[in-house]
Amino acid sequence: MKAATMCEFSRQEFIGGLQSLGVDTIQKFREKIPSLRAELKDDQKFREIYNFAFGWAKEKGQKSLSLETAIGMWQLLFAEKHWPLVDHWCDFLQVRHNKSITRDTWSQLLEFAKTIVPQLSNYDAEGAWPYLIDEFVEYLYENGIVRRIN
Amino acid sequence: MSSQKKRTFKIEAFKHRVEVDPKYAEKTWKVLEHAIHEIYNHNASGLSFEELYRNAYNMVLHKFGEKLYSGLVATMTWHLKEMSKSIESAQGGLFLEELNRQWADHNKALQMIRDILMYMDRTFVPSSHKTPVHELGLNLWRDNIIHSSKIQTRLVSTLLELIQKERTGEVINRGLMRNITKMLMDLGSLVYQENFEKPFLEVSANFYSCESQQFIESCDCGEYLNKAERRLNEEMERVSQYLDAKTEPKITHVVETEMIANHMQRLVYMESSGLVSMLVDDKYDDLSRMYSLFRRVPDGLSTIRDVMTSHLRETGKQLVTDPDKLRDPVDFVQRLLNEKDKHDRIITAAFNNDKTFQNALNSSFEYFINLNSRSPEFISLYVDDKLRKGLKGVSEEDVEIVLDKVMMLFRYLQEKDVFEKYYKQHLAKRLLSGKTVSDDAERSLIVKLKTECGYQFTSKLEGMFTDMKTSQDTMQGFYASQSASDGADGPSLAVQVLTTGSWPTQPIAPCNLPPEIMGVCERFRAFYLGTHTGRRLTWQTNMGTADLKATFAKNQKHELNVSTYQMCILMLFNSSDRLTYREIEQATDIPASDLKRCLQSLACVKGKNVLGKDPMGKDIAEDDAFAVNDKFSSKFFKVKIGTVAAQKESEPEKQETRQRVEEDRKPQIEAAIVRIMKSRRVLDHNNIVTEVTKQLQARFLPNPVVIKKRIESLIEREFLERDKVDRKLYRYLA
Repeated sequence: MKAATMCEFSRQEFIGGLQSLGVDTIQKFREKIPSLRAELKDDQKFREIYNFAFGWAKEKGQKSLSLETAIGMWQLLFAEKHWPLVDHWCDFLQVRHNKSITRDTWSQLLEFAKTIVPQLSNYDAEGAWPYLIDEFVEYLYENGIVRRIN
Repeated sequence: MSSQKKRTFKIEAFKHRVEVDPKYAEKTWKVLEHAIHEIYNHNASGLSFEELYRNAYNMVLHKFGEKLYSGLVATMTWHLKEMSKSIESAQGGLFLEELNRQWADHNKALQMIRDILMYMDRTFVPSSHKTPVHELGLNLWRDNIIHSSKIQTRLVSTLLELIQKERTGEVINRGLMRNITKMLMDLGSLVYQENFEKPFLEVSANFYSCESQQFIESCDCGEYLNKAERRLNEEMERVSQYLDAKTEPKITHVVETEMIANHMQRLVYMESSGLVSMLVDDKYDDLSRMYSLFRRVPDGLSTIRDVMTSHLRETGKQLVTDPDKLRDPVDFVQRLLNEKDKHDRIITAAFNNDKTFQNALNSSFEYFINLNSRSPEFISLYVDDKLRKGLKGVSEEDVEIVLDKVMMLFRYLQEKDVFEKYYKQHLAKRLLSGKTVSDDAERSLIVKLKTECGYQFTSKLEGMFTDMKTSQDTMQGFYASQSASDGADGPSLAVQVLTTGSWPTQPIAPCNLPPEIMGVCERFRAFYLGTHTGRRLTWQTNMGTADLKATFAKNQKHELNVSTYQMCILMLFNSSDRLTYREIEQATDIPASDLKRCLQSLACVKGKNVLGKDPMGKDIAEDDAFAVNDKFSSKFFKVKIGTVAAQKESEPEKQETRQRVEEDRKPQIEAAIVRIMKSRRVLDHNNIVTEVTKQLQARFLPNPVVIKKRIESLIEREFLERDKVDRKLYRYLA
């Protein structure tokens, strides 16, 4: 994760990365991959990678992440760490938001995905969630994707 | 000389050997017994007080106090039994009189007996712990007369019967009643309660329960309250006339419970005569009576208050949401003021100026005034109307009264910043058109607003006044600086220089002014910038007015008062007979929506159509052609065409203003958040929302969603951050 730019590894970064993994042959690299994959299952490690992804994926000099890139990243990340509402989230953003994603929204979304059940029964409107997430919840209710409780 | 003998002297009492006659006690007692009989038989005049006293004294002295005392008890008891028989045999109405008579006799006798036996009363009685004579006499009376089976029940029922008669309108012997009840009290308050008060209260409760049921079926609310009040007064009078004072709170409680508390709901909600209709019809007497009666019972006043509040809220809601009533803003506000006045009067006249009612009135008004989001605008329009013409010729005190009433409505507004925006707009129009009735009144209102909301609220408004004054001075200087030849035949110019920022104007690109005007405008610009270097002047062509002299067919001359835009349009016709909309637009550069409106007011309004339009009709199309209407006529020499007076906004204008207000609120909310976080350092979300609301509520009620968005914006700009552990907590970043 010490790569500076998405999809580009400088030779230095490539070698440095492999060294820190303790890999010096193709065979070892191949063997390492399942354990790397397994690392993603660890909560703490996943959070680190997720939050790193924001800074890594955005354009240089921009503060926020473009919506298209963000959606792509989410699809990727939540393929590994499953979140049932990810597709609705992406739909919602394209229909209702259409603007870039702030860092706060990005990191709070992970908390939301981890702590709130898909039925939203433990969602608290007074829970200081970013307003975009509040709107997402409303969107889910309005479109009948989740039944409103009480 | 006698020698000193040591001898103690003793002086002995002279022992008088008294022969105690063994029958002495008996003989003495007989004398006293006889005396007691005589006393009870009204024969006391033949007795010697001194002798009897001495006899009693001697008996006690010789240790025969016991005999004396028990003899007294026996004798008295015997007499009381006789008296009892006499009372029992009294017929009908004479019963009480007989009882009263015997009581008086007994008391007189008791007094005399007590005097005779005073020595025993003071020595033997205390030392042997016996009941003193007077008290003994009362107790014996109680036991033998009052508690006698034949008298006890008859006494109670007689008393109650008489009271019942009096309640139904008959006259009874109150003096006799008073004596009897006093007798019972003298015998001890328990005797009074057992033998009179308790049954009295019970019977009264039944009586009033029935009567109130009867009344409530047959009377309307006002009549019922009248009757209840009368009964209450009657009972209080009864107590003062012939019952013990301690009974008063008990009997009034009974009446209050039976007649008022038990029927409160039914009275208040009675069809067409209950509380609501009393309020509507200003029935001060009935309301006053209801207030003083309901005050006596638990929840009485709160019931009245609650019904009044919900009635007010309903009526108020009607007032502010009925589309008919919303047509004329000035009317709308006047109605609100009338409602307030009406209820103020009711609270003063009938509700004893009760503060809780005043509060209920205020909270109701605050509730429904804010139901209509246009209230701030309408109140400003009301003020505008008053300051423009409504207060013409009104005395200073009356002006103050009207302004104070307006301030009172202003205080109810939740969105005071919206009011401020409209007020500024309307004030600007008033100042620029010179159409204010009284400068003093304007300033007075500004002072009131300042007192209410602080300096910030009014600083810009005051700036507007200052600009007007300064402009006057500037104009004087300008005219003085112009030599006689400069534009002697040209148009005369009056300029108001407005400081941007104080005035609610949107900077706008000026339209193309006619050449005749350009000259004098440039001269002014040169003069002004000569004395104020470094400033920039922009002509606000959307706000000015012009007076034009026009000549129509048959040499009809008129003076037209128009807006600057309209002047530019009309001047074009000095060089062209006929122009299309498009041509006018190109020549003047006036923005399209304004241009259409100007042309409409110049060509489509009856009595003001100095231009003719082809084709006719209200809508303006690109190819429509305009020409001077030679046939224009008006009975007035001066014709006013410009629309300068403030009116209530059209829907799109309203949206625009609302948007501007929302935009203005964002920085205020952010400033509040930063202020709070700076001092608290760390705070959770809900508390931030509460604090921000508290800080801003004097101006407007911030929307929690907007507050949340502002917080996120501040996070994005790195003024705040979320706590790493508790995501609901925010931290101030220095």
